[in-house]
Amino acid sequence: MIPTILEGVRAFGLAILQAVLMLTLAPLLKTLIKMMKARLQNRQGPPLLQGYYDLAKLFRKEAVRSETASWVFVAGPRVYFAAAVSATALIPVLISAAPLEVAGGILLLVGTLALGRFALATAALDTGSAFGGMGSSRDMTIAALAEPALMLGLFTSALAAGTLNLGALVRHALAQGVTFHPSDVLAFAGLFIIVIAETGRVPVDNPATHLELTMIHEAMLLEYSGPDLALVEWASAVKELLYLTLLVDLFMPFGMATGTAPLALVVSLLAWAFKVFVLAIAVTATESMNAKLRLFRVPELVSISLGLAFLALTIRFL
Amino acid sequence: MNAFLLMDVGVPAAVVIRLVAVAVTLVLARRVTASRYVALGGSILASILTVAVAISVLIGGSSADGLLFRHSASGIALSYSVTPLSAWFLMVLGLIAIPTAIYSMAYFAHSVAPARTAFVGSAFNVMLGAVELVFTASDVIMFLFAWELMTLATATLVATEHEQRTSRRAAYLYLVMSHVGTGCLLGGFLVLSAAAGSASFPSMLAGNVLHGLTRDGVFLLFFLGFAVKAGIVPFHVWLPEAHPAAPSSVSALMSSVLITAGVYGLFRVCAFGLGVPALGWGLTLSALGTVSAIMGVLYALTQTDLKRLLAYSTIENAGIMALGLGASMLAMTDSHPALATLAAAASLAHVLNHAVFKGLLFLGAGSVVMGTGTRQLEQFGGLLRRMPWTGLFFLVGSMSIAGLPLLNGFISEWLTFQALLLGFHTTPGFSRLNYPLSGALLALTSALAAACFVKVFGISFLALPRSPAAAEAHESPRAMLAPQAFLAASCVGLGLFPGVVLNGLSSVLASLPGLQPSSLMSWGGLEMASPSQFDHVIPAMFGMALLGGLLAAGLLSTRTRFAIRREPTWGCGGELSARTEYTASAFSKPLVMVFQAIYRPTRQVETLAQVSPYFTQEVRYRSEMEPTFERYVYGPLLRAVLGVANGMKVLQAGSLHAYIGYVLALAVGLMLLVWWRG
Repeated sequence: MIPTILEGVRAFGLAILQAVLMLTLAPLLKTLIKMMKARLQNRQGPPLLQGYYDLAKLFRKEAVRSETASWVFVAGPRVYFAAAVSATALIPVLISAAPLEVAGGILLLVGTLALGRFALATAALDTGSAFGGMGSSRDMTIAALAEPALMLGLFTSALAAGTLNLGALVRHALAQGVTFHPSDVLAFAGLFIIVIAETGRVPVDNPATHLELTMIHEAMLLEYSGPDLALVEWASAVKELLYLTLLVDLFMPFGMATGTAPLALVVSLLAWAFKVFVLAIAVTATESMNAKLRLFRVPELVSISLGLAFLALTIRFL
Repeated sequence: MNAFLLMDVGVPAAVVIRLVAVAVTLVLARRVTASRYVALGGSILASILTVAVAISVLIGGSSADGLLFRHSASGIALSYSVTPLSAWFLMVLGLIAIPTAIYSMAYFAHSVAPARTAFVGSAFNVMLGAVELVFTASDVIMFLFAWELMTLATATLVATEHEQRTSRRAAYLYLVMSHVGTGCLLGGFLVLSAAAGSASFPSMLAGNVLHGLTRDGVFLLFFLGFAVKAGIVPFHVWLPEAHPAAPSSVSALMSSVLITAGVYGLFRVCAFGLGVPALGWGLTLSALGTVSAIMGVLYALTQTDLKRLLAYSTIENAGIMALGLGASMLAMTDSHPALATLAAAASLAHVLNHAVFKGLLFLGAGSVVMGTGTRQLEQFGGLLRRMPWTGLFFLVGSMSIAGLPLLNGFISEWLTFQALLLGFHTTPGFSRLNYPLSGALLALTSALAAACFVKVFGISFLALPRSPAAAEAHESPRAMLAPQAFLAASCVGLGLFPGVVLNGLSSVLASLPGLQPSSLMSWGGLEMASPSQFDHVIPAMFGMALLGGLLAAGLLSTRTRFAIRREPTWGCGGELSARTEYTASAFSKPLVMVFQAIYRPTRQVETLAQVSPYFTQEVRYRSEMEPTFERYVYGPLLRAVLGVANGMKVLQAGSLHAYIGYVLALAVGLMLLVWWRG
């Protein structure tokens, strides 16, 4: 059903609020993971607000662009940012409904993230340096391999709930109460590996390196500076928060508010923050306890994820 | 014009216009410009007529029948019938043929030798006319005549530059494979018409004519015949040779329209003309469709010839159409009309969407080839500065084929996913796992297609030119840009208003036996929804959200204290030139290495030294990737056939006595046979 004007305005208003929430908290998540990693390495790590300081600094700086770059180079970070921000409107965060859930579900979400990646990868080829081409090539390879595993993992939850719409999926899970199915563990493990791959964390990619041999995502960002770089960094952080929220929605949505009562929203916010924090600890542990894989070992890791998702599907439905 | 008059005379009028155009073109062959305008103008006029007929049939929902030709003395009557299914394919044909003809007016002037223009123009008309007759044929003779004419016209267009060995070989391969396919079709039609007692389609394809093993055998014959034309693996080997050899606007038509002739046959005969499909039929079609999709995109990734890459991508999309149709046939076997309708709608929607974006990409490729003078991706680079409009339209086409949201590729991909996931719910038991796995493989193909087209667009249009040809490229004239603009606008329009496509399909689906369009999806102009609220998408609404995101990005990044500074790219302390850029082969190398088991590349490195092995003078590198089916299927097949032919050479010893002896032996043998039987 196409919504009426009033419903549409309300939906967009909620979408804007949710986007602002995600944009505000995303740098905090990134810095939190950095700080925890540092503490595990017996260092002190950055202050928790460092992410915000970095973004503010970058927005104030001058943008230097290559002479060979065209409008595609300028459009890349902006489309990437727009894709990440508009994707946040498709997932439920605090209430058991996504603001724009009538506009699309899982397929549109995956498609939007693919749109952002397409834009960034294409723009990376625009400067004429080999780093951009290298990052673009490696990132598209890993994305191509991760996509079937991501889809299969998402399909498992979707088919169990009978809908591809994330809001309806969460409502179905909440209505069923606290249930546990053994396939959930396998599906979670499979999807966690994909989240690591898509957000560019060790063991797939090292987010802190700028060495030619080791960078994948960073290679695509190498030529950006000033506001362009700020937009891309912010969008990457939002994507990370989005993926972790997606895991929360699919596997542990309990505590989410079912209405817009203020008390329920506060409880929901605290529950969500806690769950994302636990997942951040899991990401930190994975990063700290594993070495980065060689590029041609990543397909093996992704196929493990595919196998886990397939097993989850089989166990659940047969 | 009165609607009834249009439906009555539309198709014959189009045929007459094309014949007149061909005749006048050939008469005016010496006057190049005049013959070009007559040929293409006539084609445009005829296409407009057929599109008008097609749209009125789609809106009205009932077929338009009529007589094309009757010879009262011998009783030969050639009739035509525009069923809703035919109308859909005719509409797709016209939608691509009109922009392509406008494009060709300028393209033929620059890229086809003047002496050949009249010939190419008339072959263009003959090919399009033949395809229109294939779609509207309602009896066997008309169908086979039009099919054969289509093959011959296409072959002559493929062989336009016949002084080049590759063109000759491509045309020959295309002719041989098409004729094998047509032979299978002929066999199938013979059995079918013998069983039905009539040669007209309504009685032959009623579905209750054949049973049991005969029916399976006839399905196999028809499948072979139509799969060759549609480019389904393993019958696709002619496609990557033939499509690049033809002039680019003709390649656009071949990829968008001639492939659909095979798909039309699969729909009309194999899926909906032989009765309820058997289990094996749907499985064959889905399995081969999936294999085509994956093999097509994998080989597209490795190509460095732009048009060959697009040809392999056509194989991928033909596979997706076959996958949708196969899922529909499986659903009909299991008596699930809702699922069958959804899958058939996905396949037909992909026919339209593929025609639009592939047509756009081929026309863009034609502009690029004309502007630079070469087809090799490794020679391009920086074309966005020299050809800004072509680049923009090619970007829209690339994003469509990658299945990105807000464009039309996403729409048919979404529909196919819905069909596969709904199939999971309606199928009990172990075989239901096929569906999510097919979904995962479909996701893999679309992600690989995205990687492929990032490569194509990025390497061709961005960064520095890699050769003098690219550095001096020139933009195409406006007559060539306007059709591309129209097709790009169609990609965006169809992506934002998907309901229009589905509304158009409703009369087609209603006319096919065993389908139930009313049980299905709600389809306002802006939205699509699948049954039981499984999924729901409104691209336009999401487009507004994306615009909001772009606005936010713009607002955040405009208030800078400093102006933007332009500096040369850092070349690691050395000179930055086109040599340091990434190449197309380098871009796809990681994927080649991951999928090594399928590609089986061979590599040979030779170092030559004169004085001492430590002072190398020359390094020779040779890398080869022979496509799987050519190496493991067609190679051995060809060698077996040639081996048998060689073995039979002994019979032709050249001795007259031997030949007389053969005749005598045959005569004696026949007499014995007759005596024994009698």
